[in-house]
Amino acid sequence: MEEIISIKNVVKRFPVGDGFFTALQDINLEFKKGEFAGLVGPSGSGKTTLLNIIGSLDTPTEGEAIVIGKDISKLSHQQSADLRNHNVGFIFQEYHLLPVYTVYENVEFALLLQNIGAAERKKAVMEALDWVGLTHKKDSKPDKLSGGESQRVAVARAIVKRPAILLADEPSANLDAENAHNIMKVMKKLNEELDTTFIFSTHDEKVMQYLDRIVHLKDGRIEKDEMMKAKYGVHGAH
Amino acid sequence: MLTFKLALKNLLSAGLRTWLSVSVMAFAYILIIFYNGMLDGWNEQAKTDSIAWEFGHGQLWQEDYDPYDPFTLQDAHSKVPKEVSEDVVPILIRQASIYPQGRMVSVMLQGIPRNQNLLELPTKEIPKSVDGSLNVMIGTGMAKTAKLEAGDNVLMRWRDKNGTFDALEITVAGVFKTNVPAVDAGKIWVAMEDMNRITGFENEATYLVLPKGFDHENIAGWEYHSLENLLEPTEKIIASKKISGYVIYAILLGLALLAIFDTQVLSIFRRQKEIGIYIALGMTRWRVVRMFTIEGASTSILAAGVGAVIGTPLFIYLANTGISFGMNTQSMGLTMAEVIVPVYGVGLVVTTIILVVVASTIVSFWPSKKIANMDVTLALKGKVQ
Repeated sequence: MEEIISIKNVVKRFPVGDGFFTALQDINLEFKKGEFAGLVGPSGSGKTTLLNIIGSLDTPTEGEAIVIGKDISKLSHQQSADLRNHNVGFIFQEYHLLPVYTVYENVEFALLLQNIGAAERKKAVMEALDWVGLTHKKDSKPDKLSGGESQRVAVARAIVKRPAILLADEPSANLDAENAHNIMKVMKKLNEELDTTFIFSTHDEKVMQYLDRIVHLKDGRIEKDEMMKAKYGVHGAH
Repeated sequence: MLTFKLALKNLLSAGLRTWLSVSVMAFAYILIIFYNGMLDGWNEQAKTDSIAWEFGHGQLWQEDYDPYDPFTLQDAHSKVPKEVSEDVVPILIRQASIYPQGRMVSVMLQGIPRNQNLLELPTKEIPKSVDGSLNVMIGTGMAKTAKLEAGDNVLMRWRDKNGTFDALEITVAGVFKTNVPAVDAGKIWVAMEDMNRITGFENEATYLVLPKGFDHENIAGWEYHSLENLLEPTEKIIASKKISGYVIYAILLGLALLAIFDTQVLSIFRRQKEIGIYIALGMTRWRVVRMFTIEGASTSILAAGVGAVIGTPLFIYLANTGISFGMNTQSMGLTMAEVIVPVYGVGLVVTTIILVVVASTIVSFWPSKKIANMDVTLALKGKVQ
């Protein structure tokens, strides 16, 4: 499979008081196109930091993070915005929907930034909402949605632009078990149909059981990198 | 265009927060335009009235004449030059005193041709004086000061051309109303033929009021004063009022801009997650800065619309009815109508809107530029930066 993300000797330090806190230490990882992988570890293990670097929301202090052939450290603000706009979708723990927009408009937003024509935009948005089963809620505002519905909108918003990579930071943290499973099923289906690379940051067992690969992080280091198909057998067994 | 649309949508979706800022700014617009319209209206009326009642379209002053130095009046008179046409209105001034109710009041006795048409002064209404009597006309301000009414007789003393004191009981034949204190306060108007008779001056004048289009070639012994020159003191007074107007303008604008600035600071503080989402979704930081700046600046554009809706009928009404100050403006010594009709020029409105929009764009940009240096990962967590 084609390599889509390459993390080499990445170190990330944050200034704390007079010193530094090392969030990531000597990380070396590769992700291939179409992977359904997760960064797993306790709070403070560095999984969100690594996800942010992959999504070009942050840069490594040392080492290099190559995402779709682009070195994150060397991108300008414009180039990094372009990378996120066209190639990376985000799903956040708190959904992060834009409160003043309807479901439809939230999903449409990413396409507006790509200057896609109205007709094509509408088709893509309705298709994305169909994937997550929310076409009937397209005119609702986020404050009228349940947690599960909000996260499905976030998935639709992330997937509508057909990104090569989709980064999901604790996507099930605010969901009950049923909604967590539902959202994971939706994402697994999208992964299989669209061949999008999914990388999760999680410590939720409900999420982990869907993953094909789990990278265990602890104190900013990779503790273990395991392929899960062997462990769970069939995808999505639960 | 997309950034503008998004900004406008955000702005309108913000509800009460937006409408509070818009209301404050619309109020500022209306007050700024109202106040300046009043000053411009006063200015226009003062000019129009001064031209109609006092200045004509320029004046020729006898070379010794200084309106601010009464000691010059004794000698400030000369024969009306032959070069001037008959349309010119000669005015001869002599110092005099009147004694109403036993008090002495210093006045300027002003001779003017009865049949002149150049000035609004109702000189035609001064009756011909017969049998040595002297009919005069005074303004309402003078009448009030001297406690005189039409039909009253009062003793007047003056010097004739030889410097000899002379006295006569004069009759106040009429009282006219004017907005121009300069032709009213301390002035007694008398027909030139009577002036000539009582002073002994023939065909002499202290100054000449000129008609429109007068070609002011140099005339020996006379100084030309253009209309602009004559209006200068009035304009200076109004300009000084405008300075106080600018202070009010600045205060109102400052309040309105403060509302926008506060809203922006609060927005950026409260909407950090939203800012993080925009950037995560692929907007550049500067595009987000631009969007927030447009949001702030659009407040002033919306306010202009709201101000127009509320202000236009109000301004039209005021421009038709004027505003009465309910006091004797004569006592202020300024050319000021009792009812001022505000003038709301396109220039005033457009300039105000442009100024407010530019200023609000600047105060919107100022806090918004913080976004450019924001840590997106912290913004997404909603951490205060």
